[in-house]
Amino acid sequence: MKQYFGMSQSGDLKEAVQGIRTPQLIMLFSNGEQFEAHVRQLEELFPGVPSIGCIGMCYGSRIVEKGVGVLAFSEGVSAAANVLEEVSAMPVKYIERLEQDVKSVGGSRDNTICIDFCAGNDACVLTTIYSVLKRKNISLVGGTGDAGKVSANGRVYEDAVAYAIVKNQNGRVKAYKENIYHQVEGQRFIASRTDKAKYMIGELNGQPASQVYQRILNISVSEIETQTFKNPFGKLNGDDICIVSIKEVSGNSLACFRQVNDSDVLVLLELGDFKETVRDTIRSIQQDFPRISAVFSVNCLFRYLLFQQNHYLQEYLQEMGRLGNHAGFVGYGEHYNNRFVNQSMTCVVFE
Amino acid sequence: MAFWNKKRNEEPGREKSKSLYPVLHVIDSLKDYRRELVQKEVDSLWEINEIGRSFGNVLKETESFQEKLQDFGENFSSIGQVSGEFLTVKDTIAQSVAHAQSGVEELKGSSMQVKTYFDEMEHTFEDLQQAVERIKLCTDKIVSIAEQTNILALNASIEAARAGERGRGFSVVAVEVKKLADEIKELTGEVDSGLQNVELGTEHLYGNITTSQKALGRSIEQVDETYEKFDEIIHSAEGATKVHGEISGVIQDSERALGMLCEFSDQIRGCYQEVMEHIGGAEKLGTTKSAMFEDIDNMMSQIPLVIDDYMEKK
Repeated sequence: MKQYFGMSQSGDLKEAVQGIRTPQLIMLFSNGEQFEAHVRQLEELFPGVPSIGCIGMCYGSRIVEKGVGVLAFSEGVSAAANVLEEVSAMPVKYIERLEQDVKSVGGSRDNTICIDFCAGNDACVLTTIYSVLKRKNISLVGGTGDAGKVSANGRVYEDAVAYAIVKNQNGRVKAYKENIYHQVEGQRFIASRTDKAKYMIGELNGQPASQVYQRILNISVSEIETQTFKNPFGKLNGDDICIVSIKEVSGNSLACFRQVNDSDVLVLLELGDFKETVRDTIRSIQQDFPRISAVFSVNCLFRYLLFQQNHYLQEYLQEMGRLGNHAGFVGYGEHYNNRFVNQSMTCVVFE
Repeated sequence: MAFWNKKRNEEPGREKSKSLYPVLHVIDSLKDYRRELVQKEVDSLWEINEIGRSFGNVLKETESFQEKLQDFGENFSSIGQVSGEFLTVKDTIAQSVAHAQSGVEELKGSSMQVKTYFDEMEHTFEDLQQAVERIKLCTDKIVSIAEQTNILALNASIEAARAGERGRGFSVVAVEVKKLADEIKELTGEVDSGLQNVELGTEHLYGNITTSQKALGRSIEQVDETYEKFDEIIHSAEGATKVHGEISGVIQDSERALGMLCEFSDQIRGCYQEVMEHIGGAEKLGTTKSAMFEDIDNMMSQIPLVIDDYMEKK
């Protein structure tokens, strides 16, 4: 298979798609002002080609913050794109679409991936989508777009999740998740008095959540919101840790960027040597795949900000570029199988 | 009976119009169960957490106990070292004693040499005394000769006086001979007096030499005694080797016992770690369940809405 990433810093879609020939799947990353126009224009340029899109920054070897980016798969890919609607209430209502698409692509765990762009209610959406994917052991990589809008096959949707089932006809695919934080020893909490609709944590180990967070890090209330760059929470799920970013303080509770439930076990995380972690991920991918056709990744907005602050963003893109053809977008939340995470990077590698 | 029948007849109508209501009811009940289950899970996780914490403390205490056992072992090894130093001290004492003994030997040798000199001096003094005696005999003889010469000179003077003028010169010679004989007497008196002084001095010196000889004899006896004492010291110091051997034996026994304790402690720690791993496993399962609760909740929360949607359409 082949992956082509074209972009226009000025938002000119024609410029961005110049190098695309006979695409089998197109992913669009646009800006808030031009999204609808870009979706329409893209469909006119490549009618009938499965496509999904969202609003957000994207990157190849450079970041595109306000323009447009187009990523196309070709030569040896079979794909189907569609949406589940009413995601804030009942995405399951449209589950037959997904079942049908999985069936039509006919993929399996080793050669097929589901890529999704979601407009909200991510945890519920992922549970719903994964209820279909897990039957075939198909992995999922995706993220949350901006402005509550996504597109699929030339149409813009609100309150929906756009997905693409992609089968690599000539090799394997594998999904990865990267965490640049590590667990702080002895800081482990059981969440209670949570409000899953508002992503709130009321108590940690039976104590008011905001006070616990302040006490363990010895910080003031005003410092809590920025502290998440250094010390987010991690939600334990077996051997895996799903990062939970803190959004703001609400009374004695902490509002997060991800749903936290009663009985969730949280740990305090600490920023590690992110450059080394990135190198480890690259090494791990290179060990798994001696030949790489393409890498598509979703990086959290917080990571983008952190890397920028540390003047590492361009170096990061170059490092990832060493893997081969690498492109992706900056999400407001990352998806890995049925897990909705923050401050992470998820990616899919095509052999 | 008729009343109940009437009521029953009314119910089927309602059930028919809201046919999915029982499903909603079941979902509500399931939600209640789920809430209770989650609460139980919170409690279970908390208990597991507490068990883990308590066992963590037990493990820490065990590790601390093991460290103490190790310290204990180090103490034994220190005792062994000190006991070993005992041997070194013993060797040092033996070396010093041997050195002192060799010194005493030298002292004894030199004392014996001095004694030999004193013995030789004693013989020399005896020879000297005999020589003085012989001189005294000689001076007595000289005095006797001088007295005879004096008598002869007197007789010569008488004979000279009888000879008159012709004997005058002979008389002068006789007088001179008498003078010489008197001087000889006088001189031998002085020699005799000197000899007496020499005799007195030598007797005094001889007395001193005898006293010194006796003192030297006693010193040599003391040196011999000291030498024997040193032998005793060496013998006593040899006892330290035995004590060290005994201490080493006790230490080895204690170290063996300590080794068994450490092995036992290791086994206990291994068991505790196994328990900790199981607790960790239970915790992991708990966190996995927590994610499953979220999935269940995410799916269940959609059902009432789907049913409402279905009923609205209907």
